[in-house]
Amino acid sequence: MLAKHITTPFLKDARHFQIVYLSLFLCYGIFALGWDANLMQYLALIGGCLLTQAIGIGFTTKDFRGLKSALITALGLCLLLKTNGAATAFLAAVLAIGSKYVIRINNKHLFNPANFGIIAAVVLTNDAWVSPGQWGNEALMLYFMGAAALMVLLKVGRIDTSLAFLSTFAVLEYLRTIVYLGWEWDVLTHKLGNGTILLFAFFMITDPMTTPNASRARLIWAAAVAVGAFVLTNWVYLHTAPIWVLFVVSPITVLLDKLFVHKRYQWLPTRTQLNSTPTTKSI
Amino acid sequence: MENRIKQIRKRLFSRSVRAGILVTFFMATGIMESVAFCGFYVAKADATLFNNKSQVILVRDGRRSVITMANDFKGDVKDFAMVVPVPVVLGRHDIRTIRNDVFEKLDAYSAPRMVEYHDENPCEPVVMFDSFEHDLAPPVEKALESTMVEDVDEELQVTIEAEYQVDEYDILILSAKESDGLETWLKREGYKIPEKASAVLAPYIKSQMKFFVVKVNMDKMKDIGNGYIRPIQISFESDKFMLPIRLGMANSKGSQDMVVYAFTRTGRIETTNYRTVKIPSNRNIPLFVERDFGKFYKNLFDKSYRYEAKKAVFLEYAWNVSPNAGVKCDPCVAPPPIFADFKEAGVDWVSGNNWNSSVFFTRLHVRYTRDKFPQDLQFQVTPNRENYQGRYIITHPATGDLSCEAGEEYLRKLEARRQNELDELAVLTDWDTDGYQSYVQKHSRRYHKAFEENNVVPLAPGSGTDGPGNNGPTTIEPLNPDPVNNPLTEGPGNTWLVLSGLLGLLGLVLALAAFQLILKQTFLIARSNRSRRRFANELAAQQK
Repeated sequence: MLAKHITTPFLKDARHFQIVYLSLFLCYGIFALGWDANLMQYLALIGGCLLTQAIGIGFTTKDFRGLKSALITALGLCLLLKTNGAATAFLAAVLAIGSKYVIRINNKHLFNPANFGIIAAVVLTNDAWVSPGQWGNEALMLYFMGAAALMVLLKVGRIDTSLAFLSTFAVLEYLRTIVYLGWEWDVLTHKLGNGTILLFAFFMITDPMTTPNASRARLIWAAAVAVGAFVLTNWVYLHTAPIWVLFVVSPITVLLDKLFVHKRYQWLPTRTQLNSTPTTKSI
Repeated sequence: MENRIKQIRKRLFSRSVRAGILVTFFMATGIMESVAFCGFYVAKADATLFNNKSQVILVRDGRRSVITMANDFKGDVKDFAMVVPVPVVLGRHDIRTIRNDVFEKLDAYSAPRMVEYHDENPCEPVVMFDSFEHDLAPPVEKALESTMVEDVDEELQVTIEAEYQVDEYDILILSAKESDGLETWLKREGYKIPEKASAVLAPYIKSQMKFFVVKVNMDKMKDIGNGYIRPIQISFESDKFMLPIRLGMANSKGSQDMVVYAFTRTGRIETTNYRTVKIPSNRNIPLFVERDFGKFYKNLFDKSYRYEAKKAVFLEYAWNVSPNAGVKCDPCVAPPPIFADFKEAGVDWVSGNNWNSSVFFTRLHVRYTRDKFPQDLQFQVTPNRENYQGRYIITHPATGDLSCEAGEEYLRKLEARRQNELDELAVLTDWDTDGYQSYVQKHSRRYHKAFEENNVVPLAPGSGTDGPGNNGPTTIEPLNPDPVNNPLTEGPGNTWLVLSGLLGLLGLVLALAAFQLILKQTFLIARSNRSRRRFANELAAQQK
């Protein structure tokens, strides 16, 4: 079994890219943007995620490659979630990964684990929050984030979700900010150039495991998230709206998967597929 | 020994207070350029209107906001007028004036501070001390008057939703359908509106915002007779937690400074559409900065502002100031706020009967320009209760006999420390510290010289500018170091930047390498697919 893991080419797994990029974003945030880097909090998040996932894997598939997904969730939480203490962070991590094993429908987990962890920590503890302004609007950072995301998404094949979300959101914001309210263009670009929105669009709603399987379903789904986020941002003044909307919209995935039947996503081919289909290694 | 502790306490307090006054002074004299408030000031005559720095107290409790605006209007008060967009029509009891000194008190209390430490003489036993101050002031009661009207200007579509008289102010709450109509109406009523106001008014009108229009009632002003106008406070319930800065930029091209004093139950506030960044703190700076602390902080702020690409909001102070909380600052440059101040500021959940209520104080400082701050400031309350303060440390060298072995070691360390202090100063403020190398060695050199010449234990090489036994070498240290305002030095020199640059480079290299590898892999897969197909075709042909 181990041999099979080693024979999987490193670059075939999009998760490796995600891990590298998310780590880079975290370093950028800590060193260049001067975030309050709390080492204990980061350790609690990463440790909590890996531990819970390891326990989950131990009871189910016994395929420890799944730890990579947990690391991505942990890094996502490090990037988005702020807590007053390491205990809250640990709780968020455990709940995030725990949700993957507990809340399942049709053998597929319902919520994006990082999203679930954030919402659970904010609602349950009163000790956690999300700082939507923490990324600012640095053009270079946004460019790099976009470029990095593009590479991962082209590999995972979920660029449609990002584009559907961003374009719907941008059109709605354009109509309200410029056409209706009459603000200048830079007000719109400032709104859309927010790092948190891009991180959300590229790295959270593109999770292939918690989005609809069929491409058309994903477009509808992503547009629904955008509409919800737009409404909550502009009328309820909830500045972390996308995260809340994603949480509420997640259950619809089940419905969309029934309406639009399509093959499920796999990070890597299974063992039987590895044996039957040629991989780059076999060339 | 007790006398000595007392002396130290006294000096520490007097210095602290002086530092506080210095900061307040520099804030109040408006070294920072500024023109308007979160609304804009408009005049009823051609007076030159300047408003050095705007200060706002922002209280947020659930959906309720209390906003207090300080009036440091310098022109003739009869020309004073102000327009502020508000989300709802305010009732009479939602508007009041408050004591002027609340702002002074909050400013002095939360301003960035300098703290001084005295090195212990390594050749003498240790003395411990600390200082704590408290103050109480009586609350002030005020009389209220009000009227309520509704008057519609059919032609211009401007509705006077309400009209009040609150102490020395005449207040109108307007709603409008057209920005041109509102502009015309204001002009007709004698308000001097800035040129581009109409374009900026439009989005607020479309967002169903109302306009809170204030001018001074001269008759009332005479009755009150204190000659200055008081801060005006409004409160309302709304999901919107923001400060409209765009209107204030309609009549100004330059940068404006605003200090926000915010109070919440839960924790810090932060901006959601701009980065909230901590101002550098807890840095060791050279002793001579003591004499020019105001200038030091102004330059430090300038540098931080430029370093953050002129588009960040700075956190200068954050502290749990609940009545039952312990130490509220270290050191306190002014007395912490008390019940009466909380009440004036609009923190209505705290009172003498409510000792256990929680209050968190955040001070934000933002310098905004039209190009870098296109959106109004939007805020959120977070549960973040971490205390923070802009704090800069000067350290007086040890005094007395340093001829023991530990003393020699101390002098060596002192030199290294002073070099670090100079470097820190250069990084923080861009001051040119090349000319101040004597500061590094002066202390130990004097000590050694005195020791060699007299071959006796030298007199205490003192530290400060006053106090007993402190007439030492630091008194001849350079005054007024000139800051180098070189725009080219924006950012660089900071370790963060270097680190992030390196990381960025690493990222770029990784990305490129990955990209190349992906291309290669794609190519290989395609080739293998082709050869597989060819093989299958050949096999099929053979089988046929």
